[in-house]
Amino acid sequence: MKEQIEQLQEKALSDLQQAADLKALQDVRVQVLGKKGALTEVMKGMRDLAPEERPVVGSLVNTLKDQFEARFAARQAELQQQAIADKLASEKIDVTLPGRRAVSGSKHPVTLVTEEIVDIFSRLGFMVEQGPEIEQDFYNFEALNIPKDHPARDMQDTFYITDDLVLRTHTSPVQIRAMMKHKPPLRIIAPGTVYRRDSDLTHSPMFHQIEGFLVDEKVTFGDLKGILTHFLREFFGEGLGVRFRPSFFPFTEPSAEVDIECVICGGEGCRVCSKTGWLEILGCGMIDPAVFGSVDYDTEKYSGFAFGMGLERIAMLKYGVGDLRLFFENDLRFLKQF
Amino acid sequence: MIVTYNWLKEFVDFDYSPEDLCHRLTMAGLEVDALEEIGGGLDSVVVAKLESVEKHPDADKLTVCQVNNGTETVQVVCGAPNHKTGDIVAFAQVGSVLPGDFKIKKSKIRGQVSMGMLCSGKELALSEESAGIMILPQDLKLGQPVFDALELKDFMIEIGLTPNRPDCLSVVGVAREVAAMCDQKLKLPKPEIAESAEKIDDQTSVTIEDAEYCPRYAARMIKGVKIGPSPDWMVRRLEAVGMRSINNVVDVTNYIMMELGHPMHAFDFRFLEEGRIVVKRAQQGEKFTTLDDQEHEMIAEDLMICDGKKPVAMAGVMGGLNSEVQDDTENILLEAAYFKPTAIRRTSKRHGLHTESSHRFERGADIDMIPVALDRAASLIAELGQGEVLAGVIDNYPQPLQTPVLDLNLSKVQALLDIPVDLQTVQVLLESIGLQVEDGSAADQLKVTVPSFRPDIEREVDLIEEVARLYGYDDIPVTMPVGTVDAVVPPKRQQVQNMLRNTIVSCGFSEAMNYSFYGTDAIQKLGVAEDDPRRQQVKILNPLSEDQAVMRTSLVPSLLETVSRNLAYRSTDLRLFELRPVFLPQEGQTCNERLTLTAVACGRRQPEGWAQGADQVDFYDLKGVVEELLGAINVSDVTFSVDTPEPYLHPGKSCHLLQKKKQLGSIGEVHPQVLAAFDIDQPVFLLELDVEAMLEVSGEYSKFKPLSRFPDVIRDSALLLDESVSAAEVMDIINRTKVKYIENAVLFDLYTGKGIPEGKKSLAVRVRYRDLEKTLTDDEVVKGHNKLIKSICHQLGAEIR
Repeated sequence: MKEQIEQLQEKALSDLQQAADLKALQDVRVQVLGKKGALTEVMKGMRDLAPEERPVVGSLVNTLKDQFEARFAARQAELQQQAIADKLASEKIDVTLPGRRAVSGSKHPVTLVTEEIVDIFSRLGFMVEQGPEIEQDFYNFEALNIPKDHPARDMQDTFYITDDLVLRTHTSPVQIRAMMKHKPPLRIIAPGTVYRRDSDLTHSPMFHQIEGFLVDEKVTFGDLKGILTHFLREFFGEGLGVRFRPSFFPFTEPSAEVDIECVICGGEGCRVCSKTGWLEILGCGMIDPAVFGSVDYDTEKYSGFAFGMGLERIAMLKYGVGDLRLFFENDLRFLKQF
Repeated sequence: MIVTYNWLKEFVDFDYSPEDLCHRLTMAGLEVDALEEIGGGLDSVVVAKLESVEKHPDADKLTVCQVNNGTETVQVVCGAPNHKTGDIVAFAQVGSVLPGDFKIKKSKIRGQVSMGMLCSGKELALSEESAGIMILPQDLKLGQPVFDALELKDFMIEIGLTPNRPDCLSVVGVAREVAAMCDQKLKLPKPEIAESAEKIDDQTSVTIEDAEYCPRYAARMIKGVKIGPSPDWMVRRLEAVGMRSINNVVDVTNYIMMELGHPMHAFDFRFLEEGRIVVKRAQQGEKFTTLDDQEHEMIAEDLMICDGKKPVAMAGVMGGLNSEVQDDTENILLEAAYFKPTAIRRTSKRHGLHTESSHRFERGADIDMIPVALDRAASLIAELGQGEVLAGVIDNYPQPLQTPVLDLNLSKVQALLDIPVDLQTVQVLLESIGLQVEDGSAADQLKVTVPSFRPDIEREVDLIEEVARLYGYDDIPVTMPVGTVDAVVPPKRQQVQNMLRNTIVSCGFSEAMNYSFYGTDAIQKLGVAEDDPRRQQVKILNPLSEDQAVMRTSLVPSLLETVSRNLAYRSTDLRLFELRPVFLPQEGQTCNERLTLTAVACGRRQPEGWAQGADQVDFYDLKGVVEELLGAINVSDVTFSVDTPEPYLHPGKSCHLLQKKKQLGSIGEVHPQVLAAFDIDQPVFLLELDVEAMLEVSGEYSKFKPLSRFPDVIRDSALLLDESVSAAEVMDIINRTKVKYIENAVLFDLYTGKGIPEGKKSLAVRVRYRDLEKTLTDDEVVKGHNKLIKSICHQLGAEIR
């Protein structure tokens, strides 16, 4: 009997070890512990043993059973691991295939720079105002100190609708409209579409500007420099060189052009900056008393500054676009890049 | 305005290099657009000696020359007639690039090697002369660059002048600015003039009939002038500043205009009838031919210079053909006058004649410069033309113009500029540009007399600008405004605009920007009716071209153009939108600018790829986008109406968006005929939204709805309906029928075909029931659901499948 058990033990444990998969393992278990299993048979046969032999054999059987169960569990875990590993090994994908993307759209680069500029000025307390694109001569010229028969009208080639209606040549009329609508103090930013009768490689008959102005008591030229320097460095980068030089606009006095260090060559001089190291970026100045006169502001009490810049130019510099015409050709290959 | 470096040096001593000078001018407000070296890049054109000149063996008109450039002797073939052995010439060696981008290469001419070119003055842009090559003085050093040897090196400085600075439309004016920079005195010319015994008053007279338009008119006479070419130095200077040489008399008037800024005119005295000048307005309708041979019809507004009988010049703009200086002219009447700027501007604009003269007069010439300019020009003409200046000047100046005297308060300077200056500093700054400054009537005040060459300075603030400019903008300290501001809340209009743009971009559309104008035919291509309001277009009086002649009343044509162009570039899967105004004419002043969102889509629904299907976009893609947009800006209760479809949309696959009766826009497939008109050969779908109308109905942000923590009960029903019954009708009944616990309802299947009778369709509805307070039992739901389905069957003639 004892030998029989030992033989069984040897075979059962060996079978467990040789079971190749979970099903085979289960079969081994049935062969040993099932209703007609080898060990079950042994246990059945214990009835026929002499009483003194029973505890000895019983002990052997129990040891074998425990041993078998433990080995079974270990082998089962091992085969489960194996099965998972095999499954994973068979499920390889090509991770270099492109991902499944949602269709993505894009904003026009001019919109993107507009939003960024508006955002910077919003944080400085500037509020957005908009005005009509077909504008009265009064708002576009007269109220901005550009009388009829003044050579300053030559600075902007104008599209006319009637003698008195024009396609606005700049966003400055929004200044007049806003000042007529609100009382100081005022901080306003006005992006918009403008038109000039000019079309070549570097001029588009329609383009975009952003106008900003601030009116309050005791506003100085230094404040103008402060706000614009802050803006330019926020937009183009910390430590950017900025310079102010005298210029002329009928609606500001003193007037200035602002140059920034060339963002292409870093001020070394290149084709974009005509080898000067500087790029003209915006026009500005202290609001002319004549303009305050047009809107009945007290020039003794209030002063202010205004500035304006071309958004296509800013977008060209920011994104390194060399050709103005691309902005209006609406080639999807261009638009998708932003 | 162009000046040259050396010309400036005649009027002010300065040590700046050309580059430094340009930088300083720019920073002083005279922006330099270009600096160009005269003779720059021509260093390989050198002084050379012709060791021998022989006839070309195979060409009559050519010579073969042995040219010594100081280091070696090379052979050059030359076609000029005027050279001989021993001449000193300007030799362009191989590798030189002459003006006009003319590259000199080694070549063979009729079999003879030629190692360069012997240059004429014209080829080096030194003179008009081109009859032969330049023969240079014998004493020049061989091998030296010609421009150095002849001391012709100079620099053209082109200044982009702002219209407020007529004083700088002259070399002297720019020199005045340079003098202020380097703290030097301006050296104004003091012409000395030798007069003959004959008196001008005995010969001629000047009458001003319109002193408002012509406050001052002065004249001198020069007799016995011989007309001929001007000397080279004058020709070169005129050409350097962009003028063409005509003859020694006309050139002098131009030279003085460039030097002193005052336009002048020379009349051939023999053509002045009655030998006198009358300044008066033109007769209405009178014809006048200017010296460019153009005839103009004058109006009574135009100021004319006349003789005793007829007009002889369009005052301040251009002289007349009838009194022009000619080759045989002998006696000259020389005019120097001042005209009212607006009068000149109007005449110049009206007749489309913009001249160097009108440019200066309309910006404001220097009335006090008249005697100086007249004397300087008269003496130069006499010198160059070997004539005699008659004794005396006619100077008609009935009412001398008042020079403005302005008060300048130091407190105002400080208030605007916030710079630490005292009165004395301000005085020194202003005096440096020729303003007369005295103590003012109050402490901390100056009295400033503005000279006649600065017509732009009229007010105290103009003086403050000069102080800022001379102090240096870069030296004004940077500060930040101190005032307080309210929190910035974007106006609703802007919020809605941003929300729409962000939403449609997230739906995969890219933003396009087309011009706001298009051709008159653009709207016709859409096939809209004659009486459609979109046919009423705002016209541009002076468009750049016919295809930019009217303002857009619809964004559709431009976007279809955009589609067509992109298809031509082989981009076939397109989703594009524009968010811009259309312009509708309106009674009264301005125009109705309505912000419009228009989007188009065509091609694949998903981007091309290995994992995506090739399904094409259709109506429902666009409708889905519209639903997203409406949701984003909280517009509810929108219905989709198929009445009166847009003529440019497929009548069976398009609809209008209505809220109550208000038109919000439309969606649809573009009509095939319209597509054909735009050369598009694949289906395109579009949506149009009137943002202005949407703004009126856009609601507040929706409030939070509480969530149920209990399970839902779902009931699906398939309904057999007539094909003509719309989904909206089904949904409408579900929304209207009062059944408890409905959370939502979805149309989840649409089927026609096998198993469905002809003319019918199967529509499957999934209704989700849920309660906030408890778990629903089937019994609670079934009764309501059956009632709902019955109601649909009853009202729409449906059957349950």
